[in-house]
Amino acid sequence: MSMSMQILLVVLGVVAGPLIGGLIGGLDRIITARFQSRVGPPVLQPFYDVNKLLAKEYTVVNAWQAFCAYSYLAASMISVALFFLQSDMLVIYFVQAVGAIFLVVGALSSTSPYSQIGAHRELLQMLAYEPLLVLVIIGIYIETGSFKISAVYSWDKPLLLKLPFLFVVLGYALTIKLRKSPFDLSTSHHAHQELVKGVTTDYSGPLLGLIEIAHWYDVVLFLCFCSLFWATNIAGMIILISITYFLEILIDNVSARMTWRWMLGNVWAIGLTLSLVNLIWLYQQ
Amino acid sequence: MEKLTFILIVLPFLSAIFCYITPYRKIRSSIVMATAFLLIMSSLMLIRITPFSFSPITVLGADIHHIVLILDFLILFLIFYFGIKHHHLLIIIFAILQIVLLGYLEYFMIKEQTVSPIFYCDSLSLIMILIISIVGSIICIQSIPYMKNHEEHLGLRISREPRFFGVMLLFLGAMNGLVLSNDLLFLYFFFEITTLCSFLLIGHDNTERTIRNAVRALWMNSLGGALFIIALVILNSQIGALDMQKIIHTPKAGLWFLPIALLCFAAFTKSAQFPFQSWLLGAMVAPTPVSALLHSSTMVKIGVYLVLRLGPAIQGTFLTHCVAIFGAFTFLAAAALAVGQSNGKKVLAYSTISNLGLIFACAGINSSAAITAGILLIIFHAITKALLFLCVGVIEQHIESRDIEDMRGLYSKMPVTALITVIGVITMIMPPFGLLLGKWMAIEAASRNIIVIIVLALGSALTVMYWARWAGILMSDPFAGKFKTEKQPILTWVSLVSLCLGATLLSMISPWLYSWMIIPIFNEKYLQSYIVTRGILENPSGSFAVIPLSILALIGFFVSVLAVRKALRARVVPPYLSGVQLSEPGTFLGPMNQPVKAEAKNYYLSSIFGEQRLTIWVNLVAMVLITMLIGGAL
Repeated sequence: MSMSMQILLVVLGVVAGPLIGGLIGGLDRIITARFQSRVGPPVLQPFYDVNKLLAKEYTVVNAWQAFCAYSYLAASMISVALFFLQSDMLVIYFVQAVGAIFLVVGALSSTSPYSQIGAHRELLQMLAYEPLLVLVIIGIYIETGSFKISAVYSWDKPLLLKLPFLFVVLGYALTIKLRKSPFDLSTSHHAHQELVKGVTTDYSGPLLGLIEIAHWYDVVLFLCFCSLFWATNIAGMIILISITYFLEILIDNVSARMTWRWMLGNVWAIGLTLSLVNLIWLYQQ
Repeated sequence: MEKLTFILIVLPFLSAIFCYITPYRKIRSSIVMATAFLLIMSSLMLIRITPFSFSPITVLGADIHHIVLILDFLILFLIFYFGIKHHHLLIIIFAILQIVLLGYLEYFMIKEQTVSPIFYCDSLSLIMILIISIVGSIICIQSIPYMKNHEEHLGLRISREPRFFGVMLLFLGAMNGLVLSNDLLFLYFFFEITTLCSFLLIGHDNTERTIRNAVRALWMNSLGGALFIIALVILNSQIGALDMQKIIHTPKAGLWFLPIALLCFAAFTKSAQFPFQSWLLGAMVAPTPVSALLHSSTMVKIGVYLVLRLGPAIQGTFLTHCVAIFGAFTFLAAAALAVGQSNGKKVLAYSTISNLGLIFACAGINSSAAITAGILLIIFHAITKALLFLCVGVIEQHIESRDIEDMRGLYSKMPVTALITVIGVITMIMPPFGLLLGKWMAIEAASRNIIVIIVLALGSALTVMYWARWAGILMSDPFAGKFKTEKQPILTWVSLVSLCLGATLLSMISPWLYSWMIIPIFNEKYLQSYIVTRGILENPSGSFAVIPLSILALIGFFVSVLAVRKALRARVVPPYLSGVQLSEPGTFLGPMNQPVKAEAKNYYLSSIFGEQRLTIWVNLVAMVLITMLIGGAL
């Protein structure tokens, strides 16, 4: 790749990331509303929301929160940019984890019990999905022989055929990262009865807006990871992502929120078993 | 060359004696500072002359072999004496065993003392010497103000400082000697000195508890010593020389792996791997600089150094596979145990055991990328762990607690220390810092090993959990108005800030660190693992853009700092408590119009990760794995 091409890709990722993320959020809301026999908000509603948040008065519980919110956004942006540069998947994973850690650290810097408990649940969620994500990346490496995304794009067969179980495992991670039921423990798109807004309780106004934008980047990053499983042509990619996301919405609507014990037990038991089986297949080749 | 090694090994011994006999604090502090300075300087000067090897004939006018032999027996008899004094049967047995075997080896087996060279220094030794001399010296410097405080707090009539500083310096000298020795008898001699030093340092406060823990450390490490000498006896009868380089270069067919497996086992005891973790956990009763020293630059690093050194000899064997699995298991299990702890020092201790496990896993995977990962982890773990222990020591002297829960809102009490601690934690778990670079390499290098990789993936996630929550609560509200630097002795600031800069800046130049220090290690057995182009470490299957990522991280950092400055002017609102807030912070109007104080504590999940629940199983699995390792070598 030439230098100008690289810069173009980075700009594309950084600019298009939140736009796509926001649009997906809007579509998500409409489809969810239709599931529940409602009309739902306009498709651009997430942008209106964030716009409004950014224009609100700047209030903080603790100035350290601002550091965390900005760092979260920065890490998420960098991870998407790295993906568009087709760099090392494991590095991208570590960078996105930085964002997640800063979200938690910021929440812990408030003494509100809602925020504190939300932060700890977020940590448990990370504990649930992080190992799975590493194993998915390892699976892709075993198949293509490289950790670089560029190697996936030059691979001539869709990965899904060789890594079906690992795709399901990635689905688990995606569900947690999208804050969908049954894994919306730490915070969700609606206020909880017992946890208010969990990890984001004490972020407000512009800082909350930044966190929302960072979340869009995360959503885009994870969907990009999903798209790697059918990287041989664009149509396949889009179909795969659409089906996956539709299933996410379906799962969200038909399941209740569960406890962290259930999540950890369930995700690790099923996720690790599926990964193990799929990895053994790959190692056998 | 002779002069430099003399300064690095013998000078600390002499300084130790002077420290021990000087009754004046000022003179003692000057000796410590001067020795620290000389150690740092000579270790840096060593860079230019590495690699080298030589065999001195005399030291201070006496035959070097005789001196080492006499001191060796002296140490063993001292250990024997301590065994009798504290009525500990195991120590007595191990001491007698070692005395008998050493005597047998010296007087009946070795015909002529022709190990050549006695000292051998390559890049691996050099890296270890730099860590020992620089990080160790910084810890000794911070000990000066720390011990003054410590003794004032205890209200001692007779200062025990002479002994303390004497042993600390002795420790550094012994460590330097250990990593330079090529003659295994010399290595064994220094190995035993570190055992004795750690015993003396852990028991420094001379209370019932410290003595109990010191005795535990002594018997476990004596076991390591006994295994070591058994291995030496077997090796000598097998290849006829106790020469490390010769052993490494003996063709695999001509080598019986039992002695090597025993040396690995001895390394595990030294590095406090399961089931020997309890001596390191018990070591936290000592003054904090001791923990910092044991955990970062000395003692526990012996084990990983030894296995990395033996690496070429066991490449491609079942033994190396066992070491990899054992290391990975320790990495996971210690991380799980760390999650269950609220005691800051214990979290640090388990994290050390966990990181050492990761390094053992790297040594066991034994490919050039894994070895690179292991060395990077050794370097950056030493710096960051020393920093964090010193921070916890400073915090503990200030708030009189080492419990994480008591460190809530530490920023309002001691902002600079809290910030440095948070930076320390960040360098532990985040890119682009050195430890994460090492972990990245380790995971990529382990990816062909299905058991190891799954275990590493789980352990890595647990690691994030216990660090993130600690960093979070240090910064929690309430903010006590304006930023005001707390008062600390100048030496404390010097040591904390230098380690902090070391952890961050050194990470950013890690590609060059790799080129200068690690590339010379590669040879026909280890092909070069990564190439460096424009600050990017790259091999055919992956790349880590250290410099670009560092630049991005710096930009992100400055934007975030600007955001904090802006946020300091923003309106501060109280945390959400789901009720009418009262004037007292953290209190809301509850049922029956009564004030309720809102409180939240960390999740420690002790029902899953508690020591009482896990330790027994973890020890059991570790014993099975060690049995497998020894049995496989038979």
